Amino acid sequence: MAENLIEARKITKVYPDGTQALFEVDFAVQAGEVHGLLGENGAGKSTLTKILSGLLSPTSGTILWKGKKVRFGSPREALKAGIGMVHQHFALVGPYTGLENIALGAEGVRILGPVRTRWIGKKVENIMDRSGLRVPLDVPVEDLPVGVQQRLEILKVLVREVELLILDEPTAVLTPQEVDELFSVLRSLASLGKSVVLITHKLREVLEVTDRVTVLRHGKLVTVRPTRETSLEELASSMVGREMPRMRGRTNRSGGKEVLRVENLVVPGVGGKPAVRGVSFSVHEGEILGVAGVQGNGQTELVEAMVGLRPWTGKVELNGKSLAGLGPAQVAALGLAHIPEDRQGMGLILPFSVAENAVLGKLRPFTDRVGGLRWRKIFRSTADLIQRFSVQTSGPRAQARSLSGGNQQRLVVGRELSKAPELLIANQPTRGLDIAATHYIRETLLKLRDEGLALLLISADLDEIFELSDRVAVMYNGTFTGISPVEKLDRERVGLLMGGLTFEEARG
Amino acid sequence: MRVVLESLGALVLGLVIGALIMAVWGRDPWASYRALFEGAWGNTRALASSVSRSLPLVLTGLTFAIGVRAGLFNIGAQGQMIIGAIVGLSSALLALPAGFKLPVAMVLSALAGVLWALPVALLKLLRGVSEVISTIMLNWVAHWLALYLVVRKLSDPVRGERTFQVPVGMRFPLIQGELTWALVVSLLAALFLYWLLWYHAKGYEIRAAGLNPKAATTAGISVRRSILLAILLGGACAAWAGAIQVLGRFPYAITSDLAILGSLGFDGIAVALIGRNHPLGVLAGAFFFGTLATGAARMGLRGIPIDMIQIIQGVIVVSMAIPEAFRLLRVKKTSVPTKGKS
Amino acid sequence: MNILIDVLPVALRAMVPITLAAVGEIFTERAGVVNIGLEGIMTLSAFIAGVGSWATRDPWLGVLAGLATGAVLGLVHGFISVCLRGNQVVSGVGINLLGMGAVGFGAWALWGAKSPMLDHSFWVPGISLWGVNFSPFVIMTPVVVAFTWLVLHKTALGLRVRAVGEAPVAADVVGIHVNRLRLWATVYGGALGGLAGAFLSLDWLHTISPTLPAGRGFIALANVVFSKLNPFLALVGGFLFGYFDALAIHLASVAGFGGALPYQFIRTIPYLVTLVVVALAIGRARFPAALGQPYRRE
Repeated sequence: MAENLIEARKITKVYPDGTQALFEVDFAVQAGEVHGLLGENGAGKSTLTKILSGLLSPTSGTILWKGKKVRFGSPREALKAGIGMVHQHFALVGPYTGLENIALGAEGVRILGPVRTRWIGKKVENIMDRSGLRVPLDVPVEDLPVGVQQRLEILKVLVREVELLILDEPTAVLTPQEVDELFSVLRSLASLGKSVVLITHKLREVLEVTDRVTVLRHGKLVTVRPTRETSLEELASSMVGREMPRMRGRTNRSGGKEVLRVENLVVPGVGGKPAVRGVSFSVHEGEILGVAGVQGNGQTELVEAMVGLRPWTGKVELNGKSLAGLGPAQVAALGLAHIPEDRQGMGLILPFSVAENAVLGKLRPFTDRVGGLRWRKIFRSTADLIQRFSVQTSGPRAQARSLSGGNQQRLVVGRELSKAPELLIANQPTRGLDIAATHYIRETLLKLRDEGLALLLISADLDEIFELSDRVAVMYNGTFTGISPVEKLDRERVGLLMGGLTFEEARG
Repeated sequence: MRVVLESLGALVLGLVIGALIMAVWGRDPWASYRALFEGAWGNTRALASSVSRSLPLVLTGLTFAIGVRAGLFNIGAQGQMIIGAIVGLSSALLALPAGFKLPVAMVLSALAGVLWALPVALLKLLRGVSEVISTIMLNWVAHWLALYLVVRKLSDPVRGERTFQVPVGMRFPLIQGELTWALVVSLLAALFLYWLLWYHAKGYEIRAAGLNPKAATTAGISVRRSILLAILLGGACAAWAGAIQVLGRFPYAITSDLAILGSLGFDGIAVALIGRNHPLGVLAGAFFFGTLATGAARMGLRGIPIDMIQIIQGVIVVSMAIPEAFRLLRVKKTSVPTKGKS
Repeated sequence: MNILIDVLPVALRAMVPITLAAVGEIFTERAGVVNIGLEGIMTLSAFIAGVGSWATRDPWLGVLAGLATGAVLGLVHGFISVCLRGNQVVSGVGINLLGMGAVGFGAWALWGAKSPMLDHSFWVPGISLWGVNFSPFVIMTPVVVAFTWLVLHKTALGLRVRAVGEAPVAADVVGIHVNRLRLWATVYGGALGGLAGAFLSLDWLHTISPTLPAGRGFIALANVVFSKLNPFLALVGGFLFGYFDALAIHLASVAGFGGALPYQFIRTIPYLVTLVVVALAIGRARFPAALGQPYRRE
C-alpha cells in the first residue's frame, strides 16, 4: 500500500449552531492518486475538505500531513504546506489577466517595484507544458469561459507548488467537453506525482477519473473503495442509502383540472447562456409535482421566471391565462403564491415586524379607500396566522429577525397560503430547518394537496421529493431529464438522473 | 431602546468633543454649556425661541429621513429649502385676496420644491446618477439662482441688505415670543409622514423598498415608484422649511447673503440621523438642534462662535456612521447564539 | 472669443483641486472604499494649511500641514469604514459637516473673522519658467497623476490595491491583508484631498472659509465617474471641469459682461456642466466590484 500523503483520523465537526456536519470520519489520500469524495448535498464533503484546507478547524480528530500531525489555522498555512483548494466560487479578479491573477500575492521582491511578469510567466509556461493545462495568460479572466477560469484557478494553486489539490464540485459549471479536458489534466497531474481530491455527487465522474473513492452520507463515512472494484449501482446506493423513504404520493390521481401549463420555457442566465433550456410540464389540482435535482441546475431561474422576476420566452399559463410579460404583482394577482428559496433575502423583510411581514404582497384587503392601513385587521389576521401555523414568537410586533429559521418559514408559508392561491410554488421549503419545522412544513403541504391545491415543489432533498411528490421531474443542466409518477421511481434511479444520466440510461 | 441609546451616545460624544475643543482653546466648557442651556431653556421666551428655531429643522430632517426610509441618501434639502424660501417670498407679488396669500404661498413653495427635486429622481432612475452628486450640484445652482433673485429682482428698494418684507397679512401669526403658527406646519408634516410611513400602504412600500429591495420586488412592490415618491415628498418638505423661515420669522425677508437660510438643509441630516430617521424622532432631534442654535447665541456672548454647533453636529453624524461599533460591544456579551426553537 | 483663451491660465489652476482630489479618490475607490467627505477634507485642510503657513511663516510647511490634515481625516474615514465597517456615506457626510464647522470655529477663534483673507506672506511662491510664472501646484498635479497611475498599474502594490477593490476574497486567499491595504488607500486619498485644500487657500483663492471649496470636492467625485477611475482621464476631466469653473469666475469678474448674463447665472455653469457630464458618463464607468462593501472573512 502506498504511503498516505494526508490522513484525517476520526474527524468530528459540530458547527456553533449545533449542526453536526461530520462524525468520526476517517479520510486518507495517497501520493499520486485521484481520489473521489462522493455524497449528496449536505453529506459533509465540503466541511471535510474545508477542514483539510485550513478554512475550518475540526471539533475533534487529528490530521497527519506526510506522517506528521498538523493543524492549519488558515488557508494560507495550508497553502504553504502544500495543500491547495479550488472552490466552486472562483477566487479570481475579473478584470485581471490570467498572468496577473496568478502573480497576485507573489508579484515580486519589492512592493513598489514592478510585477515580475516575465519570471512568473516562465514558471507558468513550465507548468503548463508539463501538465497540459493550457490557459491564455494575457486576456482578462472575466472574458474567458468558465472552464478556462477553472483551469486558471488550478494553475494558480500549482504555481504555489502544492502537492495536494482539492477540487470542490469542479464539473458543476463545465460543459461535457470541458469536463473531459479537466479529467485528462487531473490524470496528468497524478502522473506527475500530485494528489487530487475530487468532490462530486456525479457517479460517472468517479468511475471515469478516480483511483479510489470515499463515500459520505449524513456526515458519516460509508465506504472507501478502489474505484475499479465498484460499480455505478453500488456507488448510487451507498450515496443515497438503501432505506426506502415514506412515500405518500397519491396513487389515485383521477385527473384534476390542469392549473399550470408550461411549454418550452427558456430562461436566460448570466452571460446570455440559457439557464433553463426548453422545459415543458403541467401541474394539476390536488397534485404535487416535485422537481428534484442538484442545486444550480436551473431551478432558481425556473421559479424566478414563473413568478415574474425574470424575463423568459415560451409559454406559461395559469388556469388558461398567459403569464407573459407580467410582473410579480400581476402574477400574484392571478393566484400564484410563492415560497422563495431564500426566505431571509426574498421572502421576508427581517427588520419588519411579524405583522408587517404577514401582509407583504397582500396589502390590498388591509387598506381602506385612501390607502390607509387597517392595523387592527392586520394584527387580528396576523394573530390568526401565528396560531394556525404555530409560529413561535412574542407576538405580531416582534421583529421577524428575532424568529428562528423554522418560525420564519412558518410565517412565509402561512402568508402565502392566506393569499388563497391557485398554485403554490415551494422552492426548497425546508432547507436549513430543524426536524420539527421540516415535518410541520411537509405535513402542511400534503394537507393542502389533499384539499385540492396545485403545488410545484422544488427541492434538492431526495427524501422530501419522495415523501411529498405525486409526480417527479429531475432537473439537470437546465432541462428536465424526465417526468414520472413517483411510484415508478426509486432513489437509485433518481440519483442516477440527478447525476446526469438520461431516463433511458437510468431505467437500465 | 437600543437605537435611543445609540442616539444619546452620539449626542453625548458630540458634546464631549465640543467641550474638549473649548477646553483646549482655554474656555470653560462647563460654564459655556450652562450658558447654552440657560439661553435656550431659561425662560418662556428662550424656550419659544428654541422651538421656533427647530421648526425648519424638522422639515429638512424629514426630507433626509424619508429618503433613508426609501434607501436613499438625499442631501438635496439645502437647495430645495432655498427654492422654497424664494418662491414663498415671491408669492407676495401675486395679487390675491388677503386670506389666501399664506396658503397659496405654501402650496406654491411646496410645488417648487417638488420640481427642484424631480431631476434628482429622474437622473437616478433613468441614468443611475447617484443622488449624492446630483443633489449637491442642484444645491449650488439653487444657491446662485437665489443670490441673483435676492439681489437683482426681490431686493428692498430702501434697504439693500435684504429683500422686501413679506406683507403683514401673509405672515404666520405669532404665538409667543419668536414662535409663530408655523409650528403647525412642521408638526403636521411630521405627523403626516409618520402616518404615511406607518399607517398607509405607500409608506409601507417605501419602507419595504428601502430595507430589502429584493424582497419588496418579489412581493410585487415597485421600488422605483417608492424612490420617486420619497424624493418628491422630501422636496416639498424642504421647500416648506425655507418658506416658514421667510414667512414665519423676523425679518420676514431674505438677507442678500442668504445668511438667514444658513445651512438649514444640511443641518437636517444630523437632525434625521439623531432622530433615527423616524418622523417623531426628527421632532426630538430638531428640538435638540434648535436648542443648540438658540443657546449658541448666549454662548456667543461668552466668546464661543456658533460654528461650535456645526462641529458638534459633524461629530454626531460621524459617530452615527458606526452603529456596528455599538453592536460589536453588544455581541461580545451574547456571543453564544441561542439554539433555534421551532 | 478672446475670453476663451484668457481663461486658460485660470483654468490650469482650477484644474488642480478637482484633479488632485479626484486622483486620490480614484486610488481609494480602487481599493474598494468610497469617501464622499472630500469637500470637508479640502475645507479643513485649506484652513490648517493657512494656520501652518501663518504659524511657521513658511508656506511650504503650511502645504505639508494641509497634506497631513487630509491624511488624518482619511485615516478617520478609513478606520470607520474599514475597521469598524461603518456606513461609508454617513461617515463622509459627517466629515463634510465637521470640516465646515471646524473651519468656521477655528477661523473665528484665531482671526476673529469667518473668511479672513490671507496676505501675500502666506502664499506659495510661483515658479518662473521661460519667463512665465507658474504655480508649483500646476506642475505638481500631472506628476501626482503620473505617479498614482504608475503605482496603480505598474507595481506590485497597485496589483494588490486593485485586487482588494475588485475581489477581496481572491486577495485574501493568497495572503494579502485586505483591510490594511484599504486603510492606507483611504489615507492616500485623504492626503491628496488635503493637498488640494492647501492649494485652495495658499495658492489660489488666498482666503479661508467654511465653504471655500464651493462644491469642488463633489465635482471631484463627479470627475472620478467621468474618468472611469483612470488618473490620466481624471487630469483631462480636471481640466474640463476646471475650465468651466475658471470660465465662470472669469466671466463673472469681467466688467460689462454681467449685462448680458447675470454673474450669478454664470456661477451655476460648473455645476450644471457637472450634472450633464455625469449623466452622460455614468453608463460607461465601471466601478470596482467590491466598492463600498466592508470585507469580513467568512
